[in-house]
This record gives sequence, structure tokens and C-alpha cells, in this order.
Amino acid sequence: MNNPINPFAKPDQQKPSCMEMLQTILDGQATEEQKQYFKMHMDHCMPCYKSYDLDMSLKQLVQSKCCGGAAPSDLIEKIKQQIEQKSS
Amino acid sequence: MELEEEVPKQSYSEKEKGEIFNQEFLPHIHSMYNFGYRLTLDRDDAKDLVQDTYLKAYRFIESFQKGTNAKAWLFRILKNSFINDYRKKSKEPAKVDYQEVETYYNSEEVDRQITPDLRVESLKDMIGDEISNALNSLDVDFKTVIILCDLEGFKYEEMAKILDIPIGTVRSRLHRARNLLKEKLSEYAKSMGYNKA
Repeated sequence: MNNPINPFAKPDQQKPSCMEMLQTILDGQATEEQKQYFKMHMDHCMPCYKSYDLDMSLKQLVQSKCCGGAAPSDLIEKIKQQIEQKSS
Repeated sequence: MELEEEVPKQSYSEKEKGEIFNQEFLPHIHSMYNFGYRLTLDRDDAKDLVQDTYLKAYRFIESFQKGTNAKAWLFRILKNSFINDYRKKSKEPAKVDYQEVETYYNSEEVDRQITPDLRVESLKDMIGDEISNALNSLDVDFKTVIILCDLEGFKYEEMAKILDIPIGTVRSRLHRARNLLKEKLSEYAKSMGYNKA
């Protein structure tokens, strides 16, 4: 079986490390082709599979626990008032 | 104050300024407030910081090109206001040694072993404020990249412009920040284990 071309390969054809591939995915920089390649890669790379599972869980938790909700309701009004005062 | 060096100064009527402000700037206020709060760790300071940011954005609105990336522009102003006006008030945080970061980044083996105690199951048990507290406890430069990337979905190029650093530094800082966050949570996980014992 031919190995598919690694879409993470750098311009100098240097092979990217597992960690570099994983970070591209985590940081939201991966193309669809790279995501597919990494999914197949995880089938035979247990360390990547484990790291991906942990890191993605953490990323999702940060998103759900740290979004902070709405800004205080009076903040927009205060800003608008200040701008009106400065413009008049 | 330079915000977007390459964009020529625009000319807007008062009506257009109001439209840009209401339609392009204000929709980001919740993200801006959260960013301000994570940086200052104080709700009143966060309000002041966001207010200052919006007033500056209005004052310099002609440096902004209508229809371009308002969110990144606002985040950049907020970050600069924080550094110039707020950070000085508090004690100077420890400087980060980025040379060490680069060296670290090139060592994959060390990296794999960094958080041996942190498991997905432990993370799932953290249903309270552990994640938020861990993020808050990181050095400003590290929590900033996590917020920009994971919460706000900015791309490397946008983060580089917001933070005035090269893309390679964005990448290595994010890598280090993720590891520091895991280290913190690993400590929490350990303490949770002790509590159960």
C-alpha cells in the first residue's frame, strides 16, 4: 500500500512530528485534508490518540467554562452616553 | 497611536460612524468584557478597560476600514490599553523566557511526559471553577493566547497582529500555554484524588 502524501509536510518536505500535526489541529489551523490525514494517523498512533483526546476535551471545557457570559447590562449604555457627550 | 499602519485614513460622516460603531463594534462587547475580565481579574477594572477601549475605537474610527476585521482591531486596542494603562498600575509580572520556550518546543519526549497524572476522566470531574481558575492563574501572555485561540477562534495571523509578535511565536506560546494549563489542572486532579482517599 502506498503511503498517502502527508498534507502537513513542510515546503522543504521535512516530515512533521506528531506534536506539530496535533498542534495544527488543536489551534484550528488544519485544512480538511489535514484533519482527515490525522484521523487515519491516530488509528495507528496511540500516543497521538491519547493526546488528542485529552487536549480536545480540555479545549472544549475551556470553551464551556470560560466564556464568561454577557457583559453587564449598563456597560453599553455608559459607553454610548460617553460618546454622545464627547461628540456634542 | 498606531492601530493599522497599512490602512489609509478613512473619512466617515457622523451617521456612518454611528452605524459602524453599533453594527460592527458593539456586537463584540461580550467577548471584549470577558477578555478584559480575564486580564484584570476584576469586574470593575474590566468594565473600565472595555469602556476605554470603545472610546478609543470611536476616537480612532477613521483608522478602521469599514467591513474589515473589527473584532481583531478591538482586541488589539484592548490588549494595548491593558499593557499601557492597567499593567503599570499592578506589580510587573515575571518576564517570560521565550528562548526557553523554543528549546522546550523542540523536545517532543519531554512534552509527552509533562502531565502524566492528567486524564480525560479527571477533566470530566472538574465541573466547578477549576478550569476557569487555572486559566486565570496563568501568566498574562499565556492566558491571552488561549483566550484568543480557544475562546475567540482567532487564527495565527490575526493573533500575530493583535499581539505584535511573529506567527512562530504565537505557535510556540500557544504550545507552552496549553502545557502550563495542563500542569495546573494536573495539580487540581491530584488534590481531588487526595480528597477522595
